Amino acid sequence: MRSHLTCFAVAARFTLIEHGRNRFAMILVVLFVPVWTSLAYLAMPDTPARMRLRATGEALAPHGNELTAISGALNAVTLIAGFMMFAATFSGSGFDRRLAMAGYPRAHLVLAKVTALALVSAAVATYATAVICLAWTPRQPLLLAASLFCAGLTYGALGVVFGSLLRREVEGMFAIVMTSIIDLALQNPITSSGADNPVMRYLPSYGAMQASTAAGFSTSPVPGHLALQLTWFGLAALVALLGFRHSTRNCLPTVSTPPPGPENRTAGIPAPPQAATPSATEAH
Amino acid sequence: MEVEGVYHAYRRRAVLRGVDLRLRAGTLCGIVGENGAGKSTLLRILSGELRPTHGSVRHSGRFGYCPQHVVLNDALTVRQHLTFFQTAYRLSDVRYAEEIMDVLGFTGYIDEQTGVLSGGTRQKLNVTLALMHDPQVLLLDEPYQGFDWDTYQRFWDLAARLRDAGRSVLVVSHLAYDTERLDELWRLDSGTLRADKAGAAA
Repeated sequence: MRSHLTCFAVAARFTLIEHGRNRFAMILVVLFVPVWTSLAYLAMPDTPARMRLRATGEALAPHGNELTAISGALNAVTLIAGFMMFAATFSGSGFDRRLAMAGYPRAHLVLAKVTALALVSAAVATYATAVICLAWTPRQPLLLAASLFCAGLTYGALGVVFGSLLRREVEGMFAIVMTSIIDLALQNPITSSGADNPVMRYLPSYGAMQASTAAGFSTSPVPGHLALQLTWFGLAALVALLGFRHSTRNCLPTVSTPPPGPENRTAGIPAPPQAATPSATEAH
Repeated sequence: MEVEGVYHAYRRRAVLRGVDLRLRAGTLCGIVGENGAGKSTLLRILSGELRPTHGSVRHSGRFGYCPQHVVLNDALTVRQHLTFFQTAYRLSDVRYAEEIMDVLGFTGYIDEQTGVLSGGTRQKLNVTLALMHDPQVLLLDEPYQGFDWDTYQRFWDLAARLRDAGRSVLVVSHLAYDTERLDELWRLDSGTLRADKAGAAA
């Protein structure tokens, strides 16, 4: 049990350190979230935009700038989470493979990545919600943060998928940016006349967009749409998991041979620390 | 390590055409081959990254593999790499790794982030990560690229000491340098391995 905990703790710590040293992502978090959200609020007209919220069936008339600020926050959170996970996956797949071949339990590596994604998404979602609350007061701030969090999770998992599948960095960045733009622009009733189209419910951030809009302008709870967003996350995470499993596979037959005892050491060669728990994965 | 009848083809292009190899304990061996001879494919198969079209590879005991291209995490320090692989290999401490670092001469960089290290120092860490659990079978792919002359000599001394301690060491290179240091030398040519008696000491 302690070994499992150590494996998870080490992997989680180093995964978070890796994200923390992604300076560009940190700058994006600090600057992009408030700039985009504030510009959307300040630059857009506050004319009421009449719309029917599918999540609750209510007819709403939110201020256009507030609606765009929510859309901007979603855009910022999804892009940052997607970019961070893509960058880590793209540059770290060979290292993950090496760790797995050395015997690191893959389940613990995956769990560490999911934990890091959850923490990053939670931090960025909380920050974006706080920035919005500085300008105006959404009806349900906690629901807004939860929506942004779920959208961040989903795009983080998509970033892992793109990082596994695509061969060039620019391809991954383009894929994340275009997915987010198409996904959110089509759902925005101010910029898209087709926002009521039933096809929209199949977009990756549909659940989060509905939940965050409800959070901004309604008092109705919308757990179903948060669950829908988590389903999207689950599907994207499953594809990412399959990609990780494939890229870290070991084609050698597993042989459990215990490591030699200290008597097998030869003078002149420094004896390594004794293996605490011999692992089958160490002996291929 | 025993390799029997390994054959591999990418679609219709056969790269390996029946490779047989037995790496005995306590031997320091080499495989050389020109560019495109199939060394990378063979290494991917020997390390478990690629499943051969036909044939089998068996390792007994702990296995260490040092890839040709440095595989590190640029965001982590040298010490953090040691901790990561200490956990992977389930070692109680990293004293053995520190001794290898001492032999290769880069102990002073232990708290440096690997992303800012020179190519040679990164390669030293690349080798250390493959060696730090004292593998019984060690596969090194172009392990000395980027090393200065002094480190190059110390690397061969280390390889000989491991051989003398009963470890099996296989060095793969595109150039047959220092073949007199090897007990056995094979040449990969047209997808098959042939013993190259000229260069080997034994």
